[in-house]
Amino acid sequence: MSSMFPTFDIASSALTTHQIWMNALADNIANINTVEPMSKPAYQEKFIVAQEIPSEPGEPVGVGGGVAPVAVQYGDATGMITYDPTNPLADKQGLVRRPSENLGDQMTNLIIAQRGYQLNLAVVDRARSSYQQALDINGR
Amino acid sequence: MTVTPIGGVLNAAGLGSIVPVTPETTAAAETDSSTAGVGNAFTQALDSLQGTQSAADSLAQTAATGNLTDIHNYTIAATEASVTTELTVAVRDRAVEAFNDIMRMQV
Repeated sequence: MSSMFPTFDIASSALTTHQIWMNALADNIANINTVEPMSKPAYQEKFIVAQEIPSEPGEPVGVGGGVAPVAVQYGDATGMITYDPTNPLADKQGLVRRPSENLGDQMTNLIIAQRGYQLNLAVVDRARSSYQQALDINGR
Repeated sequence: MTVTPIGGVLNAAGLGSIVPVTPETTAAAETDSSTAGVGNAFTQALDSLQGTQSAADSLAQTAATGNLTDIHNYTIAATEASVTTELTVAVRDRAVEAFNDIMRMQV
């Protein structure tokens, strides 16, 4: 990364990662009531796998390049087997699959993702302020 | 009253021993064209400014057409363009200031 503003690039990668995490959490919450028949897997909770971007070999100082989302992992496909005989999707025993995800966990992670996003916006703000102060050296 | 003209400075004793100044040329400065002179530095700075501004412009276009996926991509690109512009203007101001200082110099 040979950009003139490396702090921006690093913070930007983190903002993108947190954005994708929030998207995954939004999807998890959106599907909190998704019911599947017993013949199909339940809605599987999505987890974003984030990984550090290593520093480039040419860099004089080995500062990393930020963070990147590298994979999605899925939760339990068995789900919560619920007895709901009136549901059109229910099998002969009256069972359906509901997602096994926990809404409390989703909301907690959503707050963590939001705070992470805010933190990186604060980094962008401080970096901009620092760069502008550097321009004021020996000011006009 | 008659004023006798002052003799030329070149007649002063000892001046002939001063070695004329030769411009310093280093091999590196001549071979590496990227570091040769302020002009090239300015050209490169303007090129990079052009790059950041067109990046910000195209992201602004995606924002206007509703194709922007990540808001922060645009705001960061716009910030980069703005800071780069300020940097270029600051460098130009200093260069003009230095030029004016030299032009004001008593000779």
